Amino acid sequence: MSEANNKVVLSVKDLEVTFRKGRQRVSAVAGISFDLYEGETLGLVGESGCGKSTTGRALMQIVPSTGGQIFVDGDELTSLNKDEARNLRRKMQMIFQDPISSLNPRRRVKDIVAEPLDCWKLAKGAERDSIVSDLLNKVGIDPAVYGNRYARQFSGGQCQRISIARSLAMRPRLLICDEVVSALDVSIQAQILNLLEDLKKEYGLTMLFIAHDLAVVKNISDRVAVMYLGKLCEIGPSDTLYAKPAHPYTEFLLGAALEADPELEQSSATLGGEPPSPLNPPSGCRFRTRCPFATEKCAAEEPQLRDIGEGHQVACHFPLVGAHQ
Amino acid sequence: MSQEINSTNQNPAGDLLVVENLTTTFQTARGALPAVGGVSFRLGANEILGVVGESGSGKTVLSRTIMGLQPRTNVEVGGSVLLDGHQIVGATDEDLRDIWGTKVAMIFQDPMTSLNPVTKIGKQIGESLQVRLGMNKAEAKARVIELLTLVGIPSPEERYDAYPTQLSGGMRQRVMIAIALACNPTLLLADEPTTGLDVTIQAQILNLLDELQLKMKMSVILVTHDLGVVATRTDRIIVMYAGRIVEMGTTKEVFRNHKMPYTRALLESTPRVSNPSHTRLQTIPGRPPNLLKLTEGCAFAPRCSRATEKCSQERPTLEPTGVDGHYFACWNPLEDQAAPVSIQTGTIKEIGEDNVRG
Ligand SMILES: Nc1ncnc2c1ncn2[C@@H]1O[C@H](COP(=O)(O)OP(=O)(O)O)[C@@H](O)[C@H]1O
Ligand SMILES: Nc1ncnc2c1ncn2[C@@H]1O[C@H](COP(=O)(O)OP(=O)(O)O)[C@@H](O)[C@H]1O
Ligand code: SF4
Ligand code: SF4
Ligand SMILES: [Mg+2]
Ligand SMILES: [Mg+2]
Repeated sequence: MSEANNKVVLSVKDLEVTFRKGRQRVSAVAGISFDLYEGETLGLVGESGCGKSTTGRALMQIVPSTGGQIFVDGDELTSLNKDEARNLRRKMQMIFQDPISSLNPRRRVKDIVAEPLDCWKLAKGAERDSIVSDLLNKVGIDPAVYGNRYARQFSGGQCQRISIARSLAMRPRLLICDEVVSALDVSIQAQILNLLEDLKKEYGLTMLFIAHDLAVVKNISDRVAVMYLGKLCEIGPSDTLYAKPAHPYTEFLLGAALEADPELEQSSATLGGEPPSPLNPPSGCRFRTRCPFATEKCAAEEPQLRDIGEGHQVACHFPLVGAHQ
Repeated sequence: MSQEINSTNQNPAGDLLVVENLTTTFQTARGALPAVGGVSFRLGANEILGVVGESGSGKTVLSRTIMGLQPRTNVEVGGSVLLDGHQIVGATDEDLRDIWGTKVAMIFQDPMTSLNPVTKIGKQIGESLQVRLGMNKAEAKARVIELLTLVGIPSPEERYDAYPTQLSGGMRQRVMIAIALACNPTLLLADEPTTGLDVTIQAQILNLLDELQLKMKMSVILVTHDLGVVATRTDRIIVMYAGRIVEMGTTKEVFRNHKMPYTRALLESTPRVSNPSHTRLQTIPGRPPNLLKLTEGCAFAPRCSRATEKCSQERPTLEPTGVDGHYFACWNPLEDQAAPVSIQTGTIKEIGEDNVRG
């Protein structure tokens, strides 16, 4: 199924984002590393506040990273000067959860989609119109009927289609989607997920798909990374990771996901408590305060992400599965 | 057309709630909006009933109408809601105050909208105990601590003095549950109680509701758009579309043997953890109808692959399948589980005029 090859489009090394909150420091992203291969979709999943959006925003340099490196096609983003960084970021686009508020309600749809073209002075006149029409067709909006309408006249699902069209105007290599279907009803959500799958193939996109919904993330991703309190717990091929989670947190998370089937035996193991504050994260393994398997080692030593075979990596001193047969 | 259900009474022992041909119509600047368009169902003692449907299908308006919570202006309520012998439709504020808390209580998706941000939670829970049950301050406080313990709030003595903003979303929902249960209601209406909460917290809250339902011998109406929640936590379900019941039955029967194409479409467009990644999702073309422009026919007709001419002319009535109180509203019902339904998978061409908010 995967369109991925071995070429690394995005490489993230020890990325850190720390916010200052008065005299306190919020450790939102606490040193995470991963690679994104050309043509693949990597899902980033975890509960609210674990740092998913901050990771996406740091990659786009919407929030400054406070440590680590971001390589896009081999060029290091954070060390470039402003112009160079701006150029590099043309290769990356991000779309967000709330499509309605991310579109200017008083602009016409075709002008919204053309924003990046206008901003970078890439096309004008007939050429601009034809690019815009093509993009709108691709996302399922008839440009002849709707191109001149205002954004405020569209529903959430339609606005998300318009955002997607706009993000593709620059022909990006990398698309970062942050909870793009979370606010939509299931029937509309399915339309958008299928659309993203189709566009990914057609435009040869590489995607980072951020969401909290485990079923949605599995559906669209080739690989999945699980995040907890600013750290990566585990990363691996979607089907493997969901079938054989190696990190205790992943197992609890999957156990809590409710399948729409009354006759299926569902896990009853629930994770107690709530995540600790990123103002004062636990020493060692950040999951240890809720982990039933925690030992002294877990408090003393931070587990590093390590390979357990089949492209599956886990950060745990006592993983649930050692190595795949 | 009313959705009359006379033939079967699932709970001959006496239903706690009997809703008959209930309608809630808002008078808006753009015309009459029938948010609930003639709903009838019964709920037995100790039963957990799920109400499921996409946003705008009327789930919240239905629950608020059952609770007697609709505003008095610009809204017209018709039909009947009999709760343990009390008629809610047309009841005075005074009547309702007697019922609220002791007979029926409600919890909402966002607890912050019903909690007072500047009042300590202990006081907010205790208020109704003093007013409704005539407890003195000390008795109320003792009971509040009991309730906080019951809903699983750690160190309840300390939390008694906390303000809502000092609590997490999950803890606030626990506080809301404590307030709702303070006067031992026989019916709890839970409107999207875990929507917006993380899955592990959602599991905690749903387990808590299950536990309390048994312990306090309540009936629960669990309103949600989440099929996973209804599948795992309810005895029976109602599927709503455009303000009406389109299918109703035991949860197992509706999931296994649904007759109404919309029910199937909803199930098939839901991504599942148990499916392999990249499983192509079925989609339903278009969007739910504009309630201001409902036609005489089946409201699902513009999106339905089984629609025939009759569908756009005449609204299907709720008919029994004969199994376990299972009802459906459809002229061309699905034959059985194996019958294929070709839900149109196209997303591009079907976006018609009426899909644009105007
Ligand atoms: N601009 C900001 N200033 C301070 N703290 C922030 C800011 N943005 C996010 N945070 C904090 O960083 C943590 C991670 O947030 P976020 O990345 O939004 O998580 P997620 O997207 O996984 O829900 C949270 O504790 C959040 O409160
Ligand atoms: N106070 C109101 N005035 C006018 N229309 C309303 C009002 N409340 C709800 N509605 C409309 O009633 C319909 C049903 O809404 P609701 O019950 O909230 O749906 P759900 O809970 O299923 O998402 C929607 O079309 C909504 O816009
Ligand atoms: S490192 Fe220790 S505390 Fe962390 S997940 Fe593994 S066993 Fe649990
Ligand atoms: S009545 Fe007709 S349009 Fe409505 S669901 Fe049945 S087949 Fe489809
Ligand atoms: Mg986020
Ligand atoms: Mg609602």
